[in-house]
Amino acid sequence: MLSKLSKKMFPKSLWVYHCNSGACNGCDIEILNILTPYYDVERFGIKLVGSPRHADVMLLSGAVTRPTLPLVKKAYEAMPAPKLVFGIGSCATGGGCWFDTYNVTGGGDKAIPVDYFIPGCPTKPEAIIYGVALALGLVDKKALPIELKQMEFPIDAYERNKAWEDRNVIYKLIN
Amino acid sequence: MDIAYSLINVMVFILCAPLFDGIMRKITARVQSRQGPPVVQPYYDLLKLLGKNTVNSADNWSFKLAPLAAFASIIAVVFVIPFAFRQNFAGRYADIITVVYLLTLGGVSVLLGALASKNTFAMIGASREMVTMIMVEPVLAMTLILGAVKYKSLALQSAMYSVTGFGYSVSIVAMMAVYLLALQAFVGKQPFDISEAEIEILEGPFIEYSGPNYALFKYYMMMKQMFYAFLFVAVFLPFAETGYYAADMAIQLAEMLLVFVVIALIGSTNPRLRIDQAVKYYAVLIIISICAVGLSVRGF
Amino acid sequence: MWLTSKIKQVLMVLKPGVVTLNYPFVPRPAPEDFRGAPYWDHTKCVGCGGCANHCPARTIMVRDICQEIRVMMYDGSRCTYCGRCADVCPEDAITMTKNYELATGDKNDITETMELFMLTCQRCGRCYEMETGNAVDRMDLKGYRYDNLEARTVIRKTSDQFDLKLLQETAQFKRPEKI
Repeated sequence: MLSKLSKKMFPKSLWVYHCNSGACNGCDIEILNILTPYYDVERFGIKLVGSPRHADVMLLSGAVTRPTLPLVKKAYEAMPAPKLVFGIGSCATGGGCWFDTYNVTGGGDKAIPVDYFIPGCPTKPEAIIYGVALALGLVDKKALPIELKQMEFPIDAYERNKAWEDRNVIYKLIN
Repeated sequence: MDIAYSLINVMVFILCAPLFDGIMRKITARVQSRQGPPVVQPYYDLLKLLGKNTVNSADNWSFKLAPLAAFASIIAVVFVIPFAFRQNFAGRYADIITVVYLLTLGGVSVLLGALASKNTFAMIGASREMVTMIMVEPVLAMTLILGAVKYKSLALQSAMYSVTGFGYSVSIVAMMAVYLLALQAFVGKQPFDISEAEIEILEGPFIEYSGPNYALFKYYMMMKQMFYAFLFVAVFLPFAETGYYAADMAIQLAEMLLVFVVIALIGSTNPRLRIDQAVKYYAVLIIISICAVGLSVRGF
Repeated sequence: MWLTSKIKQVLMVLKPGVVTLNYPFVPRPAPEDFRGAPYWDHTKCVGCGGCANHCPARTIMVRDICQEIRVMMYDGSRCTYCGRCADVCPEDAITMTKNYELATGDKNDITETMELFMLTCQRCGRCYEMETGNAVDRMDLKGYRYDNLEARTVIRKTSDQFDLKLLQETAQFKRPEKI
């Protein structure tokens, strides 16, 4: 009974540990911004703690560089279960502009399992609060894959041979 | 019948301590112009901490024993004190020396836990906590000894409630001022919270604790705060003694709430003092408290 | 003396009151000229591939799956919202919208795919005369491109005629593994 109550209380008080794995500090400043009175995130019960052993959520910022890769893994293992990881900024989501350079592993999910991605460069503080509210279940998800098509083809254009052989087809149609 | 009072003491303290802590956090947030967490937030925090895994980072028995010892010592103190003007079951067996001893035991178990986790930050936090404890003990002891000197007995009921029996003499007013100025260090808030400086040394002595152990330490800190507020109300403001238990309890809780508001306001407007500045500040307070006890011996 | 200054501090705080924004429950529009997620207008795009060539994080990939259809894919996981694609587009088909609420649990949610109909040139097929000089020049001109959309990789292989073998070869391209 106590464990069910504890599980219900988990989203109401998340304690956050901030881990910078080689970021440019832009996203770190934005994380600091959400703890200020204007964008106050403490009204959701979220507190910034200094030790990963006290924390429930790790805010990962920065493309995981080669020297910081084992340290991020160690900090993740030092957190007691149940835990979540948020990847903040484009660098933690996919490696940013440096996703295939020599020193960068390429994004948070190459090192530790990431639960929520919050892209942005740097991430607007409202976007981080939106991501946190999405994790708590207060808002609906707005990002969905978009597919656009210019026209529907009457012929099966994936069967390339016929189209290539009749490549004067427009000629024929005009005639 | 007396033992019922002790048990009700423990129940009231366990249930109300997180509420007072939540009110303090809300006042701190409002002074900083923001909407803070809801008032019942510490209950959510404690319940969530009880549901986490324990990461056993230091495998010795003192690491696992320390939070239990701290929590047990504060419950023992609450069991003994005469809350709401009622002498209870344990009051026959415990006097003010016991109370001072049990509070020191709580502090020592925090130190034990900090030194048992093999972490440098915890060691720094433990050394600062030791200095804070050493400088805080004399003022606490002098407050309780004031009543003992007046009534020539070490019993709790007389030492706490009868101090202002003959009006507010010079020594009592001096002691009240000293206690108010020293209250911030008793409860561990700014300007004297150097021992658990939040981001400066990464939470100080409790850095390696996680899950239920940390919940016990947090509960220990909250109940310690409530006890010190109760001590101020019991020794210096014991008026309106109606005969009804519930009314007495409500009046004392309301007075404790006022003390908590004062603690929160002072805590949120002051910076944090370094340990050597705090010791200098405290030396003056210790001297004044000893003078107050001396004056009360002389009859003032 | 310090007591009066602390009391004045507490009273000073009462004037602004509580300044917290009620953000997730009340929408908050972004300021002017804010660059949020880019959006392609498929009615204006001609499929030139200029945005794909200029993206610093190479998030836009182009692939010809047959002679008439060119598929362009934007993968938002590494986009830095710099706006170069919108800047260089000759048809103004790309707008940087003001949408910043892009948090998601799955990286496939922030992608945008477009299928474009490429008209064949009436005389020779599809493309202009190819420079056979260097790879950079060849990338800049129009032709057939075969980036791998599944592995989100930009592959610098182009050809002047549509080549099924090249399409199959790049479909199996694997990014070199690190760690």
